Amino acid sequence: MSAPIIGSSPNRVGGIARVTGQHEYVADILVADALEAKFVTIDCAHARIISVDASAALALPGVLAVMTAADMPQPVPRFGPQLEDRPVIAVGETKYHGDPVAIVVAETRDLAMQAAALVHVEYEELPAVFTLAGALDPSAPLVQDPSLRPKDRFASTNVLREHPIGWGDVDAATADVVVEHTYTFPMVTHFAIEPHAYMAAPDGDGIAVWSTIQHPNWLQKVIAQVLHMPLAKVRVFAPDPGGGFGGKQHAKYEPLVALAAMHIGRPVRLVLTLEETFQAVRRASAEVRVRTGVNRDGSLVFEDIVADYLIGAYADIADRVVGKGSYPAAGPYNVPNVRIMARSVLSHTMPSTAFRGFGNPQVNWAVESNLDEAARAIGMDRLQIRLHNLARKGDAFIPFDTPADGHWEQTVLRAAELIGWDSPLPEGRGRGIALGVKSGPTTGLSYSTVRLLGDGSVVVFAGTSDMGQGARTVFAQIAAQELGAPLGWVAVVMGDTAVVPYDQQTSASRSTVLMGNSVLQACRSIQKQLSAMAARLHGLDEAQVTMDRGVIHLPDRDLTVLDVLVPGLGRLGGELTGNGEVRKDADPTHPLSGAPAFFEFNCTAIEVDVDRETGDITIARHVTVSDVGKSLNPLQVRMQDEGAAIQGLGHTLMEHYIWDEKGRLRNPGAIDYRIPTSMDLPLELIGATIENEDGPGPYGSKGMSEGALLCISSAVGAAVRDAIGVPMRDLPLTPERVWRALQEPSS
Amino acid sequence: MHAFAYVRPATVAEAVAILLAHGPDARVLAGGTDLVIRLRDGSAKPSVVVDLKRIAELRPGIREEDGHLVISATTVMTDVAADPLIRRYASALAEAASVVGSVQIRNRATLAGNICNASPAADTAPSLLVYGAVVVAQGPDGTRRIPIDEFFVRSGVTTLARGELVTAIELPVPTGRRGAMHQRRTRRRGHDLASVTVSCCVDEAGMTRLAYGSVGPRPVVYADATGVLADPSADREARLAILEAMFAGASPSPRSMRASPEYRLAMLRVLGARALQGAIDRLHADGD
Ligand SMILES: Cc1cc2nc3c(=O)[nH]c(=O)nc-3n(C[C@H](O)[C@H](O)[C@H](O)COP(=O)(O)OP(=O)(O)OC[C@H]3O[C@@H](n4cnc5c(N)ncnc54)[C@H](O)[C@@H]3O)c2cc1C
Repeated sequence: MSAPIIGSSPNRVGGIARVTGQHEYVADILVADALEAKFVTIDCAHARIISVDASAALALPGVLAVMTAADMPQPVPRFGPQLEDRPVIAVGETKYHGDPVAIVVAETRDLAMQAAALVHVEYEELPAVFTLAGALDPSAPLVQDPSLRPKDRFASTNVLREHPIGWGDVDAATADVVVEHTYTFPMVTHFAIEPHAYMAAPDGDGIAVWSTIQHPNWLQKVIAQVLHMPLAKVRVFAPDPGGGFGGKQHAKYEPLVALAAMHIGRPVRLVLTLEETFQAVRRASAEVRVRTGVNRDGSLVFEDIVADYLIGAYADIADRVVGKGSYPAAGPYNVPNVRIMARSVLSHTMPSTAFRGFGNPQVNWAVESNLDEAARAIGMDRLQIRLHNLARKGDAFIPFDTPADGHWEQTVLRAAELIGWDSPLPEGRGRGIALGVKSGPTTGLSYSTVRLLGDGSVVVFAGTSDMGQGARTVFAQIAAQELGAPLGWVAVVMGDTAVVPYDQQTSASRSTVLMGNSVLQACRSIQKQLSAMAARLHGLDEAQVTMDRGVIHLPDRDLTVLDVLVPGLGRLGGELTGNGEVRKDADPTHPLSGAPAFFEFNCTAIEVDVDRETGDITIARHVTVSDVGKSLNPLQVRMQDEGAAIQGLGHTLMEHYIWDEKGRLRNPGAIDYRIPTSMDLPLELIGATIENEDGPGPYGSKGMSEGALLCISSAVGAAVRDAIGVPMRDLPLTPERVWRALQEPSS
Repeated sequence: MHAFAYVRPATVAEAVAILLAHGPDARVLAGGTDLVIRLRDGSAKPSVVVDLKRIAELRPGIREEDGHLVISATTVMTDVAADPLIRRYASALAEAASVVGSVQIRNRATLAGNICNASPAADTAPSLLVYGAVVVAQGPDGTRRIPIDEFFVRSGVTTLARGELVTAIELPVPTGRRGAMHQRRTRRRGHDLASVTVSCCVDEAGMTRLAYGSVGPRPVVYADATGVLADPSADREARLAILEAMFAGASPSPRSMRASPEYRLAMLRVLGARALQGAIDRLHADGD
């Protein structure tokens, strides 16, 4: 038996290609005759398009087309994962700053840019809403045409949907102390380092589409529908993206590029600039009011939460983000009375979409911060109040849902120990601790195929997108472990819908669990075939042969895979094939249409130093502990937690969109939108995991990759409040805001 | 990117001739860390870009000559920050050069480009102001020596005339001991443009010079010859009054995304006090 590959940290599959610049991203792929596209936009958010004059642009040699809504199939196709409300290009009006009015297609990128600048758009600015207050004003202009939802009681408002959830009776409950505050969370963008890029090429009687997409099969459906083609004629290539974080989940401009390519009859490529990416993907901002009722002994009596999320002009997946993200808002605690009312509110801003944490960080910031205030109000230690109320394994902390699926107190105690919660605090410093819980995938469908070739090497076909999280490596580890192949003998094929079987999506930290189980199933099917083969070869009963970890056990001895495979396949050779199918169907009776496959659970503890003169925060010590069930690849697990934690420091300390009064984004790009650099990291970053092998994934694993981001703001905010003695309720905690908080007379 | 001609003259005279011929349609290229960004975003659309990096007379270098440190126009920040002469005689400039951008930017960005770009936030400007630097410019009428305080006009505008380019920056070598410090305020620790920059230099004769930028259309310098600022034991109120008079020249823009005017003004005071104290400490520790 070979040393276990599961639980070790081999070099990342595809890692060398990435760090040496060999990896081919969509923007690197050369296709003969490819044209380049560029958007025409206007310097205005909401406007009626009066006319588009493209004559000067079209007069440039090498400009092939300037397409507007008028050049699209009529009615202009609309698409979207939740509502089919988004037209492939602005129709009649722009709904947000950056909404493309036309697309220019030319021989080169420079030419396309030059031509785009020559397109003259005449427009009339229309009234618009960019803030929650503006959008919720009874006299606000409507973002969405009410005729799109005639029967909806919210049709004449900017509320897209409400998501009420709760249990117990908040109004009847009485608590010794009630603490109520309002918290805000900024609009931020994913800032994947790889630019969002799309390419489409007519392909016989079908089409080939390349995209930086996380969900290639979903995109395939969208393109098939827009072009009225059968799925089999739409081939989506999805090379491993360079970071996605949710921003690359759903189709954005692929339908438009596909229509342009079909119209012109040549391949068309569109690579978004960083600035354009800011206009394409973002996280919803939110305002959350929390009323927390607590008794003097520390028991939580009720949580009453109102969360408004400002989504954009089209739904994208944003309303699901609101519903699913707010659902566990009361936290991982046994709270007898809970009332949550979350609303997705439309605005004349770019559509918000999925983003690591999926709507949870917004409410976590509010509810965990308020819990600190409650602890202070009753004079209880902030760690103790959490341990006192924390759900223990098996507790139905959300009464109608999957019970707590981990020994979460172990995670909390480990974090407390690593930060030295009970040790004396150095002068001028502050500490904070916060918990985060997120519902994992509620539905899922992952097919896989594994081929054991005649020489014992293995090919795994899995439709997950490896955007840096290391899915390729984990699937290769599973196949290597189960089929006894060295890791280097396993190839993982992804990102081509013509070749790889269907996978619903790469999101919600699902792939190790759902696709991992599917790959495991496919390997186990091959193991069965090998066992049967061995029985046949050795004249045994099938029941007398077993196989695990690449070893075939006969009653009297052990055989390797090749011992069986080579004679078993015989003179013609060939291969064994196994299929996996993991299906988690929707449950229409569940508020989220399905109970989560697992919870992601994290505890973050922070120690900060605050410069009281400037407001600078230094994170002296950052502890992040996640319950991951089992680390299949400890290094990758650690990198996911560190990456999530650091990404979360962005919206905690510095990242936010800045708008002008006309709803124009003032800080797109890397100059005035700051993300953490290596110099902004905590002085000490300590990661740890709790591993009880109690997850639903292979070998007891749970999904992970978002956990360390869920409660980071709450933990940092708590530490800052501890250091300066003044609560801060608006993110990000910029030096200027900390300084302002310190200027308040009360401090 | 907008199309333009690219020329790489071999001599300063040749470069001057091109700049004279094209006037505002020509742009000088040194490290390109400011210019290339503007070429890309279309805010600069020159018809000709004049690269200085092949001009032998402007070869990178820092030398001591007739009581001056002479920094040639193509010398990059990395070299300014590491140069032993600069570190010895102009430590605040070395400090400022060492915080410009990132390692990659500093390997490319020139000191001359930093001041010719004339951003109010230019990190090296306050230190050059407190050290009384002189900008050496060559143009159709020969060489001019422009005191740095007369060089800056407002963002993007200097007193260079048509056809002129900067060939070097000179700093007087101090005759006595002095201490100096550079301070800046940014939104994060990683590279960022400053929302306040301050340099302070104190000499053994009791002269204090304090310069700051990013809080008005151009960086400015003030001097206190009374000896009061340089003396930490002097009356607190008197010292504060002098500093307040110096800070009165600040007028930060309310439109900036980087920081509000109130915060900038408050930070100017915090950084000003820290730079002053740091300069005094260094004067008494080991000199500049
Ligand atoms: C990521 C990034 C971070 C940055 N961070 C900082 C920072 O922290 N602090 C800071 O101060 N700056 C910063 N900058 C700005 C820039 O790097 C500096 O201003 C730099 O010193 C410019 O020098 P350069 O040689 O690259 O100039 P260039 O871009 O080549 O030129 C700048 C301007 O000066 C003109 N010019 C250059 N040399 C001469 C000359 N000899 N005679 C006449 N005109 C000339 C050019 O025509 C142009 O208008 C940053 C820039 C970037 C891209």
